[in-house]
Amino acid sequence: MIDPFQTLGVEARFDLDPDDLARRHRDLSRALHPDRYAGAPAAERRLSLSRAIEVNDAFRVLKDPIRRAEALLRRAGVPVGETAEPKPSPDLLMEMMERREELGDARRRKDLDAVRALAEAIRGREREVLASMGRQFAASDPDATKLAVVLPELGELRYLRRFLDEASAIEEELSS
Amino acid sequence: MALLEIFDPKAAPRPIGIDLGTTNSLVARVRDGKPVVITDCNAEKLVPSVVHYDPRGRVIVGVDAQRLAVDFPRETIVSVKRFMGRGADDPETRRLGTYEFVEPKTPEEAKSVRFKIRDRSVTPVEVSAEVLKVLRSLAEDELRSVGGVVITVPAYFDDAQRQATKDAGKLAGLDVLRLLNEPTAAALAYGLEKQKNGLFAVYDLGGGTFDVTILLLDDGVFQVRSTGGDSALGGDDMDRALAERLLHDLGVPVENRPRELVRLALDTARKIKHGLTETDRVEAEIEVTGGTRKLAVTRAEFDALIKPIVERTGVACRRALRDAGVSADELDGVILVGGSTRVPYVRQYVEKLFGKPPLCDLDPEEVVALGAAIQADILAGTKERADEILLLDVLPLSLGLETMGGVVEKILPRNTTIPAGARQTFTTYADNQTGFDLHIVQGERELAIDCRSLARFVLKGIPPMPAGLARLEVTFRVDADGLLSVTANELTTGVEQKVEVKPSYGLTDEEVETMLMAALDHGEEDLEKRQLIEARVEAERVVLATKKALVADADLLEGDEERARIDEALAGLEEAIRGTRAAIIRGRTEVLDDVTHGWAGRRMDRAIARAIAGKDVTAIEGTVAKARGVEAHLAEHAGHNAPDGDASGTGS
Ligand SMILES: Nc1ncnc2c1ncn2[C@@H]1O[C@H](COP(=O)(O)OP(=O)(O)OP(=O)(O)O)[C@@H](O)[C@H]1O
Ligand SMILES: [Mg+2]
Repeated sequence: MIDPFQTLGVEARFDLDPDDLARRHRDLSRALHPDRYAGAPAAERRLSLSRAIEVNDAFRVLKDPIRRAEALLRRAGVPVGETAEPKPSPDLLMEMMERREELGDARRRKDLDAVRALAEAIRGREREVLASMGRQFAASDPDATKLAVVLPELGELRYLRRFLDEASAIEEELSS
Repeated sequence: MALLEIFDPKAAPRPIGIDLGTTNSLVARVRDGKPVVITDCNAEKLVPSVVHYDPRGRVIVGVDAQRLAVDFPRETIVSVKRFMGRGADDPETRRLGTYEFVEPKTPEEAKSVRFKIRDRSVTPVEVSAEVLKVLRSLAEDELRSVGGVVITVPAYFDDAQRQATKDAGKLAGLDVLRLLNEPTAAALAYGLEKQKNGLFAVYDLGGGTFDVTILLLDDGVFQVRSTGGDSALGGDDMDRALAERLLHDLGVPVENRPRELVRLALDTARKIKHGLTETDRVEAEIEVTGGTRKLAVTRAEFDALIKPIVERTGVACRRALRDAGVSADELDGVILVGGSTRVPYVRQYVEKLFGKPPLCDLDPEEVVALGAAIQADILAGTKERADEILLLDVLPLSLGLETMGGVVEKILPRNTTIPAGARQTFTTYADNQTGFDLHIVQGERELAIDCRSLARFVLKGIPPMPAGLARLEVTFRVDADGLLSVTANELTTGVEQKVEVKPSYGLTDEEVETMLMAALDHGEEDLEKRQLIEARVEAERVVLATKKALVADADLLEGDEERARIDEALAGLEEAIRGTRAAIIRGRTEVLDDVTHGWAGRRMDRAIARAIAGKDVTAIEGTVAKARGVEAHLAEHAGHNAPDGDASGTGS
């Protein structure tokens, strides 16, 4: 499979500098964007479109920590995707259920501040998980069995993300 | 120089930029490195987007049409942009207005609004094409020969509205190089003029549409972070709100409003609105049966009327900020665009919303057209140092497919940088299911029925097998115009079936072609002439580009053989251009395309390497070696594009 790290020409690691990544995306776009090929023969226009799509997609993957982690794992041959990963711990499930109930309550009360506070708490948690994942990725060899240690945290990240998406939808609903 | 230009019989085609507005349209071009609006013989820059169809079948556009609006409310179309790409049952057809619509007889017909004008049925695409034709001839008067065109569209326009705009351009005989988002165009003109860097919001409230775009300006790179808006929100809605009040004050019953009076009320409302921008109280007179009535409106009254309209823009702004992941105080400035931002209440609202006084030092009505002209200049390759400027825009509304239970599965989320592509894998949900029903939708709502329906099609001939075994891959691609194309593949049992769909909003390519023929005086014959001209323009472009590349990148040719093949194809094409057969020109253009394909790839690799040169040489080599077409990439990514990264895909 094509590797987004390779497409963007950056090192395959978890803790990428977002500014470097953006700069690389921009440099490549300057060379590949269809605007550069507006006057070119049809075949070249198609080629530029394909490559610009590829570069944009790689950037989208690497910007997102969940998909970046997946890309790293896939490179190492670790199967990813919720069906392939270990089941989340009952503790996590329990906790997320409670948080979601609180979110639902806040929504019913139309309490925008409470929604924001809940989201902020989860964002803090997300930052912690990301930092820890960064350490795990840095410490382990790019070897499938060892990399698999990050899977539980990746699973947690997915739950946190879903919670945050829901919270932001509610925020939108309540503030309009 | 000027003299030479005037007398040169074979003038080189020049690129132009068009702002096709709801209320006003403009055409601009770049002269001596600076964008300027082209004026008509009365030194007018704005062409009112008003089209009148007279009893003899003539079409009148602009100020003259505007004058006829009150006496011919059905035959004079204003604000046609609000109907572009809209279905016959669109809410816009039920708002205060003066038109008669054709009752659709088939579901196909219902996909587009059609105006009933005398005994004719006219689509919004045709009406817009009339405005574009006038702009084209304005440009031709000044430049004599018009080349490629950039037409601007509201950033929040969906696929159908974009496609309709592009078709209107085609119908007006224009070579549409690109559709450009209005706020991005404004930012381009603003950024280059003011030489500013930073994070900006563009707040564009025009006659019929509202857009807000958050973008980063960084040394010639204009990167859109997020966009939001409402393609049916603008000054027209203020006019309507005030007109409703005027009609009420005049004692006109809602169920019995003569169209002429409605038009008059709308026009009077607009005049009052403009007056209230300058003063606190405006008096107006309105002619009704039984005499002239005097009316007065204060600014406070007007502000109260438009408050709900203006507040709707706030919702979109807050969401755009959230999507961009920034707060209002991180912005370096808010750029005002569109005539409706002259309304004092709007300015106050924007200032409060963003917590800083907005920037309004460029003409809000011209800046979009100026940006379009700059972009046209860049795309036509005539701009100096064009490679320093880059526009990175986004998809305004999520694209998805309807799945089980009418729920939408998002394939490409809103605010994805374009061009963009994604693929999703689906499977059958019933035993022995032999067809897939695909429904492509656009919008943010969870249920397909609440989103904009773009296209439906059925993939047939799947061999009978148990549920969940068949594999259907659907690929979405959005190009730099923000236009979608979809391919579906059925991959089980090695049988590969491909269906390609271009979303349609009611007008098929054939219909557009037929309209084009009908618009030309001698139908068929003229069409042939046109095709010849188009084929030649394209071929000449290719010849020029190839010759340029032969000078710059000859070292990338693989041996004399490749060079010989290219030279031969070039000579063949040049000979065809001198002839008069469009088909031959097109055929030989393709031949040249074919023989330069491999070399083009190598040249693109070199461009990539140069773009990131000096940064990480080994990584670059990796990039170059692995950069491949999106097809290969997507094939390998199959199923990994679900928003939550679920590799198993979703059953449909
Ligand atoms: N001085 C003014 N005071 C208030 N409103 C004004 C003033 N001048 C223009 N407008 C309003 O601005 C609108 C037209 O603005 P503009 O020309 O920017 O729109 P447009 O580009 O045609 O529309 P859109 O961008 O929505 O397609 C009209 O509704 C007009 O009434
Ligand atoms: Mg406008």
